[in-house]
Amino acid sequence: MQIYLPIAEMSVNILTLIGMGGLVGFMSGMFGVGGGFLMTPLLIFVGIPPAVAVATEANQIVASSVSGGLAYWQRRAVDVRMGVILMTGGIAGSYAGVQLFKLLRELGQVDLLISLSYVLFLSVIGGLMLRESLNAIAATRRGQPLRARRPGTHSWILRLPLRMRFRQSKLYISVIPPLLIGFFVGTMSAIMGVGGGFIMVPAMIYLLRMPTNVVIGTSLFQIIFVTASVTILHSVENQTVDILLAFLLMVGGVIGAQFGAIVGQRLRGEQLRALLALIVLSVGLKLFLDLISRPDELFSVTRMGFGG
Amino acid sequence: MRYGRKILLVVMLTSFALAPMAARANTIIADLSKDHISIKSNFAGEKLLLFGAVEATVDGPISDIIVILRGPGENFTLRKKEKKLGVWVNNAAYDIGPLPGFYAVASTRKLSQMAPANVLREHSIGANAMSINFLSSNIEPSEQAEAIAGFIRLKQARALYAEAENGVQIIGGRLFRAEINLPSGMPVGTYVTEFFAFQNGRLVGYQTGELPVDIVGAGHILHQAAYEMPLVYGIGGVVMACFMGWGVATLFRRR
Repeated sequence: MQIYLPIAEMSVNILTLIGMGGLVGFMSGMFGVGGGFLMTPLLIFVGIPPAVAVATEANQIVASSVSGGLAYWQRRAVDVRMGVILMTGGIAGSYAGVQLFKLLRELGQVDLLISLSYVLFLSVIGGLMLRESLNAIAATRRGQPLRARRPGTHSWILRLPLRMRFRQSKLYISVIPPLLIGFFVGTMSAIMGVGGGFIMVPAMIYLLRMPTNVVIGTSLFQIIFVTASVTILHSVENQTVDILLAFLLMVGGVIGAQFGAIVGQRLRGEQLRALLALIVLSVGLKLFLDLISRPDELFSVTRMGFGG
Repeated sequence: MRYGRKILLVVMLTSFALAPMAARANTIIADLSKDHISIKSNFAGEKLLLFGAVEATVDGPISDIIVILRGPGENFTLRKKEKKLGVWVNNAAYDIGPLPGFYAVASTRKLSQMAPANVLREHSIGANAMSINFLSSNIEPSEQAEAIAGFIRLKQARALYAEAENGVQIIGGRLFRAEINLPSGMPVGTYVTEFFAFQNGRLVGYQTGELPVDIVGAGHILHQAAYEMPLVYGIGGVVMACFMGWGVATLFRRR
């Protein structure tokens, strides 16, 4: 059954979309990640214009982070004050990202920006994840549990001026690092259509030294607002949010996530992470190959003023 | 409505046949199977039937008929990729237009066999006969030709430009019919239909009409809102997502 997407201006099989939502939802439930960094490339692979894929995916992440975040909120595992600081930076970053996106769209280079960002992030994240999980697997084989690595304290960063007390995280640190982290992740969110949890969570643990029990809840809390801001800004500046597409992806995504969570609980953590790392690396590789191999058609056409 | 149109056609054909030869200004009359195209949310493209009748002239029966469906004119930006630092990137950009976003021509035989090239060009018959205007100046003719070929190729690949040289069938020497495929990615706006009757390379009959193409239903509301009230649209998307997320969280916790 075909459905006409009013913003992407194309017909797509409705079951393909729900199936994709389900597959990525399944993986995000299984691995405990947001899934935006897998869904956006997948949408591009099936022919959705990259600019529409990014903006629409931001809209979908609003839904998945609300449903994920509610449980943490009810368990009071959210540092609201830290979340507000992060999202202040994040919303500013999303504005900067959308403006950059708009500018490059007019120059016809936004697809390149999206692809390059993905190749860079997917290969770095995938590589780090693979190395870490392979080390963990090797350590388990040898029978010695790997000690959690604590990188050197960058305490001078946290002792910058404008310090604030974060009671929930038991921290008294400068607001400058969380503002900057928020800004960076917000920019990425606008350019790549991701929530950015896979950057935000390690940054909170290793840079801000937040206790692990509030990290995921706080990350989801601020992602809701940053992706909401990305959705609204892309709607206003680029008219690239396809609500119908977002809705169908949400339907598939929520169903998939429930099953993924069940399966994920039965599998071993390190192997699961190694598998995710391989998926991330292969998506990055595919995007990389698309960039360097000679396209069948060198020309591309858009309506004037609708670049990208 | 279908019936109404059939009756209309019968009336048209009868009066056409009865009218005296000299009083007739035109030798071709035609109509479409639809008076508008509605792109609903389940739109996956459709076929449009174009039909009519031709009257023989003093030189004999007419066998050269051309049917054209032309979408609204737009300006386009055409970009060409080039390899830079090992990566294929958009390099040269050409603004061209106005050109139809959709263009289909069907005929009884090869266009070039029906009329000389200058006549075809004069009436903009065939994608190759369209005058393609470069909005930016100083472009080499060879570069222009390459860009034009690329543009037509891209449009053909999406079934937005089509030429069918045996697309018009003549039935019983008088009636004719043609089918044109409307793809799902067709642009919206007012389309123009044109019917040409040629005889010995001369234009002997011509008729033109309009065909509105619109998005309707929920898709129409979303499309309209996205472009005319983008802020409301964006906030709407966020509110919808919040409800979906909240609904799902509540639903699955109860289980």
